[in-house]
Amino acid sequence: MSTPLSATPLAGSWAGTLAALLGELPQALRFDHHRHDALARFEALGLPGRRDEAWRFTDLSELKARSFVRAAGDRPIDADLLVDLDTPHCLSFVNGHFAAWLSRHGSLPAGVFVGSLREAAEEHPEMLAGALGRVPGLEGHALAALNGALFEDGACIYVPRGVELPGPVHLRFIGVGDDVLAQPRVLVVLEDGARAAVVEDYLGHGRYWHNAVTEIRIGAGAALEHVAVQQEAAAAWHLGALRASQGRDSRLVLRRCAAGARFGRSDIAIDLAGPGAACEIDGLALVGDAQTLASHLLLHHAVPHGSSRQHFKGVLQGRGRHVFDGLIRVAEGALQTDAQQQSRNLLLSKAALATTVPRLEIYNDDVKCSHGATVGYLDEDAVFYLRTRGIGEADARRLLVRAFAGEFIEAVPYADLRERLERRLATYLGEGVA
Amino acid sequence: MIEISNLHASVDDREILRGIDLRIGAGEVHAVMGPNGSGKSTLANVIAGRPGYTVTAGQVLYRGRDLLELEPEERAREGVFLAFQYPVEIPGVNNLYFLKAAVNAIRKHRGEAELDALDFMERVQARAGLVKMDEAFLKRPVNEGFSGGEKKRNEILQMAVLEPTFAVLDETDSGLDIDALKVVADGVNALRNPERAFLVITHYQRLLDYIVPDVVHVLVDGRIVESGGPELALALEERGYGAFGRHGGASRRAGA
Repeated sequence: MSTPLSATPLAGSWAGTLAALLGELPQALRFDHHRHDALARFEALGLPGRRDEAWRFTDLSELKARSFVRAAGDRPIDADLLVDLDTPHCLSFVNGHFAAWLSRHGSLPAGVFVGSLREAAEEHPEMLAGALGRVPGLEGHALAALNGALFEDGACIYVPRGVELPGPVHLRFIGVGDDVLAQPRVLVVLEDGARAAVVEDYLGHGRYWHNAVTEIRIGAGAALEHVAVQQEAAAAWHLGALRASQGRDSRLVLRRCAAGARFGRSDIAIDLAGPGAACEIDGLALVGDAQTLASHLLLHHAVPHGSSRQHFKGVLQGRGRHVFDGLIRVAEGALQTDAQQQSRNLLLSKAALATTVPRLEIYNDDVKCSHGATVGYLDEDAVFYLRTRGIGEADARRLLVRAFAGEFIEAVPYADLRERLERRLATYLGEGVA
Repeated sequence: MIEISNLHASVDDREILRGIDLRIGAGEVHAVMGPNGSGKSTLANVIAGRPGYTVTAGQVLYRGRDLLELEPEERAREGVFLAFQYPVEIPGVNNLYFLKAAVNAIRKHRGEAELDALDFMERVQARAGLVKMDEAFLKRPVNEGFSGGEKKRNEILQMAVLEPTFAVLDETDSGLDIDALKVVADGVNALRNPERAFLVITHYQRLLDYIVPDVVHVLVDGRIVESGGPELALALEERGYGAFGRHGGASRRAGA
């Protein structure tokens, strides 16, 4: 279970790190060929810099200036990191390593698998071989390649044809320590007509780096609701990639809240590969002073009758930065695509900076696409209106920010998670709004 | 209750109010009428404490206290209410939640316990009936998507729930049809009592058929140029504001 701590620095010999890792991994999780391929891609691409178009607005130089070691999993965990969700299925990972003692398993319908990738490698090697690393998208993303080469464990959720997995699967990714790199991996496979829900939590203590990849394959008529909450430690880096492919008439709902980390970025690629596939993405970023949070999305409408909706909101304080970069690509022949994108930013400080890059690439006529972006300050008329009713200025400002962010929180389908997000928002506002 | 003396106020360095004197006693309803740009809304906003309005001279005493040194929320908690000419839409804030936050902020200031949910609902429902407001509006975001008339009724509902001591109605009649006007006037009349004072600002005499004032003031060019009983409003309707031409004799006469 425990992995020896390697002192190999990030900037050093990657091949050596991979060789050491391959020696430790169970056979079914080795994927030697894939890992070597991924490493070659990472080495060719290198850590992205400002000259890369996709990284123009996000700066990794602070990260590059440090070196990291592979993180060990056998670390004590502070109780405040054990955020809970009311569900029987919970898998925890400490620095990317499965933590059985922080996990619990509920009863599952026949054929459903919920467990670590290492467990999946034992029980479902063929399924793993057919699915892991097979979802297209983010091919040019160096950090996803780095995860592909060096991930050590992660979560696997498999739901067979026509089966519904009751209750969400809660995945906790806990980072602990300084200058450690943890690279968890998530694989979700829903066969045709299957249904499931997943909540990923990212949090921790220290100056660690989470470089995570989530891979999702949704069969025809299947439905997945996926919630991700990034509330990493204030000194941590969070880089997360998510790629999903959707079959005919499938439905994917993503809800993504980003609040933690000194630097947090998500890269999301959705391939609406089957006709009639529908994808909805809701995002909320609570950006603090001197913090950068970014979301980069590609919605690829490959075939007709797909629909997608992106609705991202950012609240920014101090010298916070928020980047929303959303590309809708409608392929030739993807007739009657319905794609909408909206990004709204609320600046609570004159020094905050929001960057919105809406992009549409449409290669046929018969489509309905729209995008909208707003960036603004709090409505001072509304602040005054509330004050004339006896509500104090600070409370009035909080009330208005709460109203802006509340739409996201209210749509989260789990009461305990909604409460946690409310508390997070309250903390955020208590510190920042005068 | 309220004593305004020699009040001068500017917006963006432009002097709008040029020496207002006005005394309103408890239980009285005063109307201020005047042409567009005469300073009516500025007077309302200065009383409520809107940022951007600078008082350059004069004072406003409210129950013996200097009103101008209080923050807008402190004025509200002390019982001053402004019904807005253009009520603000606040997406995402439920009307009922907003009312409850306001009521409890004021109660807290008075050292009273917060109203429990049941008492609060009873109070709001009773007042909503007063302005013939459908309860569905209570669950909607504040003023969002409300018609002009609904927004004004919502202002009167807030007034009825907050029970101010001194209420200023800034052109509450503007944009209302006759039925909505009656509803609003009935709401105000129901709240008239010997402890409460009103300042009703309007461009037209029409509202004063329904809310009959004790005193009518005519505001022209930032000064009150004439004051009288309700009959003054009728006379104004006859002869218009033309008689008080800018920098005209009437203005000088009443400024004395």
